[in-house]
Amino acid sequence: MATLTETPASYESLIVERLDYTPQMLPPREPTAAEDETRRHYLNHDYSLFGWLFTVDHKRIGLMYLVAVSVFFLFGGIAAGLVRTNLITPTGAILELDQYNKAFTAHGTIMLFLFLIPVIPGVLGNFLVPIMIGAKDMAFPKLNLASFYVWFFGALFFVYQLLVGGLDTGWTLYPPYSSKYSHTNVLYAGLGIFITGFSSILSGLNIIATVHKMRCPGMTWGRLPLFVWAMYATSVIQLLGTPVLAVTVVMLAVEKLFGIGIFDPTIGGDPLLFQHMFWFYSHPAVYIMILPGMGVINEVLTCFSRKNIFGYKAVAWSSVGIAVVGFLVWGHHMFLAGQGYYLGMVFALLTMLVAVPSAIKVFNWTATLYGGVISFQAPMIFTLGFIVLFTVGGLTGLFLGTMGTDIHLHDTYFVIAHFHYTMVGGMMFAWQAGLHFWWPKITGKMYSDFWSRLAAIVMLVGFALTFLPQFVVGYLGMPRRYPNYPPEFQIYNVLSTGAAYIQGLGYAMPIFYLTASLFFGKKAGNNPYRATGLEWQTTSPPEAHNFPETPTVYFGPYEYGVEDGLRIVDDLERTAKPSSNGVYATANQGVTSGH
Amino acid sequence: MATSTATEPAPGSTGPVAHHFNNMGQQLATVRFGMWLFLVTEVLFFGGAFCAYTVYRVWFPKDFEAGSAALNVGIASVNTFLLLTSSLTITLAIRSAWLGSKKALFNYLLLTTVLGTAFLGLKAREYYLDYEEGLIPGNSRLTSDAKREVDKERAKLYTEAEAIKAALVLNRAAANDATKTDAERTFAAIAVADKERQLLHTLAIAGEAPNAFNENLKVALHHADFKGVAGKDYDPSRVQLFFMFYYSMTGLHVLHMIVGLGLLVWQLALVKMGFFDYTARYVYIETMSLYWHFVDMVWMFLLPLLYLCGPHTASQAVSQFKEAIGLATGSGTH
Repeated sequence: MATLTETPASYESLIVERLDYTPQMLPPREPTAAEDETRRHYLNHDYSLFGWLFTVDHKRIGLMYLVAVSVFFLFGGIAAGLVRTNLITPTGAILELDQYNKAFTAHGTIMLFLFLIPVIPGVLGNFLVPIMIGAKDMAFPKLNLASFYVWFFGALFFVYQLLVGGLDTGWTLYPPYSSKYSHTNVLYAGLGIFITGFSSILSGLNIIATVHKMRCPGMTWGRLPLFVWAMYATSVIQLLGTPVLAVTVVMLAVEKLFGIGIFDPTIGGDPLLFQHMFWFYSHPAVYIMILPGMGVINEVLTCFSRKNIFGYKAVAWSSVGIAVVGFLVWGHHMFLAGQGYYLGMVFALLTMLVAVPSAIKVFNWTATLYGGVISFQAPMIFTLGFIVLFTVGGLTGLFLGTMGTDIHLHDTYFVIAHFHYTMVGGMMFAWQAGLHFWWPKITGKMYSDFWSRLAAIVMLVGFALTFLPQFVVGYLGMPRRYPNYPPEFQIYNVLSTGAAYIQGLGYAMPIFYLTASLFFGKKAGNNPYRATGLEWQTTSPPEAHNFPETPTVYFGPYEYGVEDGLRIVDDLERTAKPSSNGVYATANQGVTSGH
Repeated sequence: MATSTATEPAPGSTGPVAHHFNNMGQQLATVRFGMWLFLVTEVLFFGGAFCAYTVYRVWFPKDFEAGSAALNVGIASVNTFLLLTSSLTITLAIRSAWLGSKKALFNYLLLTTVLGTAFLGLKAREYYLDYEEGLIPGNSRLTSDAKREVDKERAKLYTEAEAIKAALVLNRAAANDATKTDAERTFAAIAVADKERQLLHTLAIAGEAPNAFNENLKVALHHADFKGVAGKDYDPSRVQLFFMFYYSMTGLHVLHMIVGLGLLVWQLALVKMGFFDYTARYVYIETMSLYWHFVDMVWMFLLPLLYLCGPHTASQAVSQFKEAIGLATGSGTH
């Protein structure tokens, strides 16, 4: 970068030159209007119902997940609305006591099992992982379709059980309440969770096999986009954790069916055993929910600050670190459950350990922002929101992971606020960032800039006002899962409920302007953000097999404005042969090994 | 990529590659890798059950030994032999596929299928015998032997009750006998109250519906010559817990066996359809064999945990097996 040592004419001109777009390879030619009319891509190559329902194309399956997940999010949102509305008055505004139990359980279970766990892996993971590593499809395309249907029908069955009989145990399903006293559909709802869990295992397996075996030439582990690293770590957790939940639910079902005391102490069982086995999955499961979101943040952040990620290796390995250490901290959910004082101390210590890789990520993101050329388009607003909200959520998590403070804060609204900051402020915002960022790639259309920025701000404001009061009221001692509370807590609850409506409005807005963009949106072009990732080097929407030919990768995923990158592209331009269809020129055609 | 549609593949050809792979090497490596990943999840799945089993095994060792003593170790031993042999035959099938010997491949796969089916047949027989002995937790059916025992016990209680009644009549008479001294009458009155209480208690026990599982277990353990670690020092409700683990863990294993047999039948059909004309595709047999070996391995853990943790002898195993397949009449069971 010779120009750096000279005095530039103006700061702006230097930045533009230095941080200009570096293509991963020669960018595909933008199709002309006439070509666009006849071009076949994954959306229009087959319009039949059969072609959608039985597709093995990972991109179409991703879109099916998008529709299904959005519908389930609506259900979970309605349940949340009922809960919050009921909490407007200290004695419960609209619901009976058992209805309230069913409403918050429906909100929790639907949002966790049918939204947060499948949303980014199902939609963006499916759509992007093969494209990002230059593959034509997932390693096991039919298995991919199967895991969608297993999840979908399991989810429908689960929602049906919630609607006809309800479930009032909370999402944690603790026995002996769930196995002995609850008169709701615990057994069948458990079966629904078991089925969706099976899908989670198969998706995780598919992603790991894809990342290991399907990478295109030149796509080394050190050049994997960090979203792929995050999805890989997520899949490891899905693979290792979910089977344990499955067998736990089976044992719960056996206890309920035959009355054998596995978990019920009155007939010889041990309820703590259930809690251990449940949290062995369910604590890592919160990392299933947040890691893909963190992966999205890396992609969006680098693009909209026009900078390489700070500390690629640290960010990549911190994902794996979270996945590994995340399996060792489940006991911090059971400090007050009677697991023993010294065991609690060990778990408190290990919980501090898992904060380290999360903090590494946050520090690396802020370091990436430093000195970058930041533009505030909707995906970036969501991303910055993520960093702030996730930091708050993460730091309040330390209060709960420390035994002394947890005794005071356990099972209060402080816990609710904490995990909503990580799950909603984290994952939901990351999901919105990712959806907006890749929407032009998925659909080929650009959404409204104004409305998307407005929606991002409405969501941010609504979110912060909903959950900040809950920290306060939780600290003051309001327990979670109670429909009634002392009148002096009403002001906090009214604030929270009012803001929840604003939040709801925010989540509704994308439905309208994203749908509108499909019909009225401008054509996005292949690379509207001038990003460097491999997925931007193919057409929008991508063709059925993603790339006309297997691409070859020569450098890392975030090389925004690096002079080496420019030099390599120059070399490429000189040496590459134009391929037969003239769209691509790759130097190393026909190389088939993934390494 | 050499692709051939002819029935006889060209020499050196590896067969058509699926649309999303670059070459056959990648495809086969992916297939094999996917199965290893799947086995990881299976280890975790069974691991959860083994973990719960271990907790209760440590807490209730005597009860679990009693439960194990009531199991049919004869059938389990023969089943172990069948399953291990099937692991050998499926490995020979891989070799045959590799060498391109279709006939041997088909025969070895068939042999594996037969051995697996024999395992399931014997397992079904074992479940049936367990049912006959009434060893189903929570059931209310007494076996004929257990019923006889219960009736005997009851008859004994009623005899006792009659004796108490007689004593009661005598004492009542004594209490009202004016010829006796005050002290004697008071003494008799106390005895009356005592006998009345005893009578009610005995009649209550005799009238109670017996716990079918517990009574059946007593009979089954008697037939199995179970002496226990310290006499009858076991709690039947804990033994129910053992049986829950027995049924659910072997049940999950059987479910996996059925899936494995389905895969074997599918591979047999593929052999007939000429799928394995390309010898490179031996990897598919190898991949399936990984699953089969895994199911085998689970059994190798189930055998000691469930069957061998109680006291059994070799001669007992032999006679149990002979009995089960009808070669000998049982020493005790009818």
